[in-house]
Amino acid sequence: MSNFFSLIRNENMKIYYRFGTWFMIGLLVLVAVAGAIIVKTSYREPTDWRKEVTAETASFKASLEEGNISKTYKDYLTQQLKINEYRLKHDIKPIASNTFWGYLESSAGMISLVTLFTIIVAAGSVASEFSWGTIKLLLIRPTNRAKILLSKYMAALLFAIGLLVLLFAVSAISGAALFGIETIKEPYLAYQNGEVVEKSMIWYVLQMYALNCADLVMMTTFAFMISTVFRNQSLAIGLATFSLFIGPQITYFLAMKFDWAKYLLFANTNLSQYLDGMPMVEGMTMSFSIMMLLLYFLVFNALAWLIFQKRDIAA
Amino acid sequence: MNPLLQLKNVRKDIGSKTIIHDLSLEVFAGEVFGFLGPNGAGKTTTIRMIVGLMDITSGEVLINGIDVAKNFEKAIRYVGAIVENPEMYKFLTGYQNLLHYARMTSGVTKDRIDEVIKLVGLEHRIHDKVKTYSLGMRQRLGLAQALLHRPSLLILDEPTNGLDPAGIREIRDYLRKLAREEGLGIVVSSHLLSEMEMMCDRFAIIQHGKLVTIEAVQELSKQAQKVLWIVDPIEKAAQVVQERFPHYHIQQNGQGIEVDIDYHDIPKLNAALVAEHVQVYGIQVLAKSLEERFLEMTGGNEIV
Repeated sequence: MSNFFSLIRNENMKIYYRFGTWFMIGLLVLVAVAGAIIVKTSYREPTDWRKEVTAETASFKASLEEGNISKTYKDYLTQQLKINEYRLKHDIKPIASNTFWGYLESSAGMISLVTLFTIIVAAGSVASEFSWGTIKLLLIRPTNRAKILLSKYMAALLFAIGLLVLLFAVSAISGAALFGIETIKEPYLAYQNGEVVEKSMIWYVLQMYALNCADLVMMTTFAFMISTVFRNQSLAIGLATFSLFIGPQITYFLAMKFDWAKYLLFANTNLSQYLDGMPMVEGMTMSFSIMMLLLYFLVFNALAWLIFQKRDIAA
Repeated sequence: MNPLLQLKNVRKDIGSKTIIHDLSLEVFAGEVFGFLGPNGAGKTTTIRMIVGLMDITSGEVLINGIDVAKNFEKAIRYVGAIVENPEMYKFLTGYQNLLHYARMTSGVTKDRIDEVIKLVGLEHRIHDKVKTYSLGMRQRLGLAQALLHRPSLLILDEPTNGLDPAGIREIRDYLRKLAREEGLGIVVSSHLLSEMEMMCDRFAIIQHGKLVTIEAVQELSKQAQKVLWIVDPIEKAAQVVQERFPHYHIQQNGQGIEVDIDYHDIPKLNAALVAEHVQVYGIQVLAKSLEERFLEMTGGNEIV
């Protein structure tokens, strides 16, 4: 096991002694800080939040009365109605984007940047060894190939975790600095077992982060697999980022016509669809998506492992 | 003595093509074994199979008696190698590169790393990034990573490539010392034939994936060859040779005569010359060079 720990240290050394890595880390910090500044300068306070919530409630009611909507969406609207009523009754203002929690919540959207950077690192980790020619000296050590591959994969995931923590921390600090922390006690309204309950915002934000990570893990694994199978970093980065940004759109169009689209990877990566009550294909559930993601995860890893294990190194 | 490295009918097929045909050879502890062949003969493929980078189609490779294909982790512990060019992580320093490889084998201490650095003479530049190194320095770093874990078998592909004459000599002496004093078995592939001649004890020539011959470098001087006789008077000496050994080819030059003579006839001719009162100042065996042997064996029509 100490051997495996050393392998991860080796991989980390190869990640963090490169300029490109620090460029990506710097860029992420910059975006998280700039985001807060943009929100600060462009946000306009609503005149009366009560009026807006009332208007929203009315439109929810109108939609519910139309009748020809799906059951999941109906449930979702009913929940939102209850939450809005609770809000008005107990005088709880919705979380605005120019608050500490509001900004932290929207920073979850920047996880796609973390995904992009992790894809770059994962795609490079196996393919570069081949293009540098260092794979030969790497594989003539008393360590089996599976362990070496796993250490590379773990190092990429550790990089992702590092970036997530950094994103969260920088967003929290810049949010606190620009918007203040007076609103930190404001609760998050959740709907549980038929009633509205007040919860801490931190759980809500962490949940948003966690849901966005499905994409991150899947695309990193995908890029890693392509990198191992084709030994080509550009191809791996290209395919993975293309899929990351275009995949959901294509899947969305397919899902409008075909029921089988629900088995596609991108129909399942966006787990927050279940929080919005609008799954891509009617009848999909959170557990179905998690099962599908696990399946894809296993297939990608098995492919990478099998091919890396068997390959003749002729680079 | 058990061989350190043993290839038994090793064969490699890629697709329907056979790249290596039933290659068998043995390398013993304490010797430097040269691996020669024209480009594309299968030297590198064979080396890749020995170090487990490529699968062996049939046959087996044993290192210290351990099958590489079946027990890779155990067998490879005894091997230090450079496969083709010593490619390193250019964005890391030489030291970090060594640290990287040291971490992958148990039992390599920091002291050992320092020791190896001193051994290859890289003390002054070891904390510089590898991208600033010359080819010769990379070669030394390559040798350092191969020696880190005190292997008993060293496999080096073109170890003197890119070194200046002083560096070549240093590495050659060092390899010979490792073989003689530390008892390492060393396999060296190269196409610098004169270099191999000075470095190796035995050599194998392969061509088209087949073993052509295995010979000891010493044997080269025992085959039919040119012998230079420094004599006076030259004309009389030539006469004696023609009388006694009419089938040998003679060539006169300024110092004496060159005779294409069988190794065992050298003393006889000497005795004859002395008996005829020819002054013999010197007998110099113009040994057949490895290059001649190589061209002879491989047909000489290949680009070396």
